[in-house]
Amino acid sequence: MRSVPAALAALTLVLAACQSQPTVAPGPSATQVGQTAPAAQGQPTIAAKPTSAPAAQTAAKPAQGGTVTIGLDQEPPTLDPEASPSAITFYITSSVGEQLLYLDENRELKPWLAEKWEVGDGSKSFTFTLRKDVTFQDGTPFNANAVKWNFDRVVDPNYKAGGALAQLTGYLGSDIVDDYTVRVRFKDPFVPFLLYAGSPYLPMVSPTATQKQGDQVNQTPVLSGPYKIDEWVPKDHITMSRWDGYKRRAPWSDHDGAGYLDKVIWKFIPEAGTRAATVESGETQMATVFTPQDLQRLQAAGLQVVSTPWVGAPFMMMLNTTQPPTDDMRVRQAILYAVDRDALVSALYKGIGKKAVAPLTAIMLDDPSLQSLYPHDAAKAGQLLDQAGWTTGSDGIRAKNGQRLEFLLNAIDYGGGPDQANELLQGQLRQAGIDVKIKAQARPPWYEDNYHCAANGMTLFLRSGELDALYALYHSSNVGGNFNWSCIKDPEVDKALEQGRQEPDAAKRKQVYLQLEQKLMDMAVGVPLVDQLSVFAMKPNVSGLKFTGNSYPLLTDVAIK
Amino acid sequence: MNAYLAQRALAALPVLLGVSLLVFSMLQLVPGDPVRLMLSEFQTTPEQVERLRSQLHLDDPLPVQFGRFVWNASHGDLGTSIRTRRPVAQEIADNLPSTLQLAVAGLVVAAALGVSLGIVAAVKQHSWMELASMLVALLGVSMPSFWLGLLLIFLLSLRLRVFPATGGGDLQHLVLPAVTLGLGAAAILARLTRSSMLEVLRQEYVTTARAKGLLEWVVIARHALKNALIPVVTIFGLQFGQLLAGTFVVETVFGRPGLGRLIIDGILNKDLPIVQGVVLVVAASYVVVNLLVDLLYGVLDPRIRYA
Repeated sequence: MRSVPAALAALTLVLAACQSQPTVAPGPSATQVGQTAPAAQGQPTIAAKPTSAPAAQTAAKPAQGGTVTIGLDQEPPTLDPEASPSAITFYITSSVGEQLLYLDENRELKPWLAEKWEVGDGSKSFTFTLRKDVTFQDGTPFNANAVKWNFDRVVDPNYKAGGALAQLTGYLGSDIVDDYTVRVRFKDPFVPFLLYAGSPYLPMVSPTATQKQGDQVNQTPVLSGPYKIDEWVPKDHITMSRWDGYKRRAPWSDHDGAGYLDKVIWKFIPEAGTRAATVESGETQMATVFTPQDLQRLQAAGLQVVSTPWVGAPFMMMLNTTQPPTDDMRVRQAILYAVDRDALVSALYKGIGKKAVAPLTAIMLDDPSLQSLYPHDAAKAGQLLDQAGWTTGSDGIRAKNGQRLEFLLNAIDYGGGPDQANELLQGQLRQAGIDVKIKAQARPPWYEDNYHCAANGMTLFLRSGELDALYALYHSSNVGGNFNWSCIKDPEVDKALEQGRQEPDAAKRKQVYLQLEQKLMDMAVGVPLVDQLSVFAMKPNVSGLKFTGNSYPLLTDVAIK
Repeated sequence: MNAYLAQRALAALPVLLGVSLLVFSMLQLVPGDPVRLMLSEFQTTPEQVERLRSQLHLDDPLPVQFGRFVWNASHGDLGTSIRTRRPVAQEIADNLPSTLQLAVAGLVVAAALGVSLGIVAAVKQHSWMELASMLVALLGVSMPSFWLGLLLIFLLSLRLRVFPATGGGDLQHLVLPAVTLGLGAAAILARLTRSSMLEVLRQEYVTTARAKGLLEWVVIARHALKNALIPVVTIFGLQFGQLLAGTFVVETVFGRPGLGRLIIDGILNKDLPIVQGVVLVVAASYVVVNLLVDLLYGVLDPRIRYA
């Protein structure tokens, strides 16, 4: 196994495959399990606004009080943010914890627990000047020692860290300059750290409470935000309630102090149909992750739908560049022309996604040059395959030297069959003369096949707010581990990825990644399919839902009319 | 009697050991690395993966791992979940009451509905009531439980708002899941009760009882039923195992906490300690239920006694 370079950025990748739970559930629903690096696109665009306007925009202050029950599709493994390997944790902790920084809708870093910060020593040292008026929910004051304790805890070899560990790769230590100034040092230049310092993996937990409670931190962590965790009834729900000790204004909020709602109950309802039914019947007031059909029904029933684009890599089909026939670039490019993304989106993602065109979602990095790449063109696909020596056979499938053009598509089956996108792609590629065989299997062997570069392709998506998300996907050191399932080992790609980690100037950095995206599309390492939306449906009398820069829900401004 | 019980208890041990070994081996054969799977949603370093593997003792040789499981289990320690890091015994204890509640409620529905339908069909043979009850039995056997569950949610939760669709806890939350679970078993019990009753009702002693002038319901309830129920009780015991498996589906459809959700998550995440722990508990309960069924025979049929 190759040693990984010290400066590894943590990427939160979400590998979606199918429904979260097996056994039942007809129809696909994209499960977002992902960890997103704090990226922020601040307030995402609110799509499909319903008839009622959000209360926050009216002059009258929203009503205080009340309880909202929210239906989630999964249960988190832990609520300790630094230990969590699963994105669902941050749906809940985003309203409970606070980070040093906050990324707003223009992808600009704003102060939060840190009033100001300085980057020095060639992006190897980061000095934060902290606010003096912050306390944790147990009364412990927040200061430089707390920051040091938090970061040291993540890298401690006895601590079972989750996604947070990679976000501190190359971490050397934190120096206490004075009570409210802390300097964080790294071994190598690590520009992404600033975004990660504003990420949901690295909120500040109370050192006093966490040391006292031991393992209980996984159930009821003590943080410093507007809501606190009350209880976790396994397999059923998590309750959080307003923490009246929160006097400041959260960076996204429309008011000072804690949230409007008294309580929020997060209920775990893995079955998609049931979850949608509960919002309709009023058993829950809000829920997330729906099939397009359920969503249409809910909208017709008069429910509000609020959504935000997901950051990271879109739902895409990665193409294995080391396995024939996809080791031939012309075949890969032909696949890109043969796939009809508009048809796929309208058939399977209506209301929950838009067409994707690049290795990162449009909200991360958009450019007209990317929009025009690889339009659906059956003739062009045919030409490329002819050039590559694959001629159409009598059964409609192309062949070369007696060998049929076969493509092994690795898919996850949770018990309800593989994601329907796989079958749609199979049908579309058949028209180009490619015989796609879907290998539907459980999650563990699916990962093994990907790590061993065994199939020709697989579908996945990634949740990450950092441009550095591309590192885990395309750096040569990540073949056989992490997510380089195109199995590419290209020195130019590697160089661009490493450069992106070290370039401190935002505009220049953006250019580096834009050029990298164009190169990856030229190499046809994957087929971008859908820029997914994180969708919430709620009762008409519920308003004020906002989102973090990495598309997690924020509940402080939610109120019931 | 005590000797008999002790003998049965001892016989259970190899069963439990065998089941554990089987599950352990099967999970090893399935491809997939639980450590990498657990860290699979975000970027990691090989060092982080190996460190976690060693913290979880998953780098020990397989016989050592199995031996450790058996030794700990015999002391009541079922290990720690790889995914949630909580003790497996704790996870099971949290989820068991809900599943037991559902399984028992399902059995009650199955027994009450099934036996009643069966008796009605037998007593009112060749009438429309027999046809109706057997039709219900046919439906119960044919409908997949998840479909029935979703149908009930749609009708009674969404449209009529009579019962809640999700969650556990109280009686209100139990009705729909119990009916979903029990209907399939009720169907089988109905048919069996009917045929068993028919046979018993043809017996001479029943004719004698009627000739003596006893009321019809006394003949059925006191004289015929007890004997008719013997084969039914056997099936009942076997059905407990099926019902327990059925709870897994029903729990998912209705969003109820329980062992089903626990083990399904465990299998999907290759969370070996969870799967082993739950299977062990289920196997043990199966053994206990079978023993109770055997003892129940003795109550029902004086000819059967355990010395």
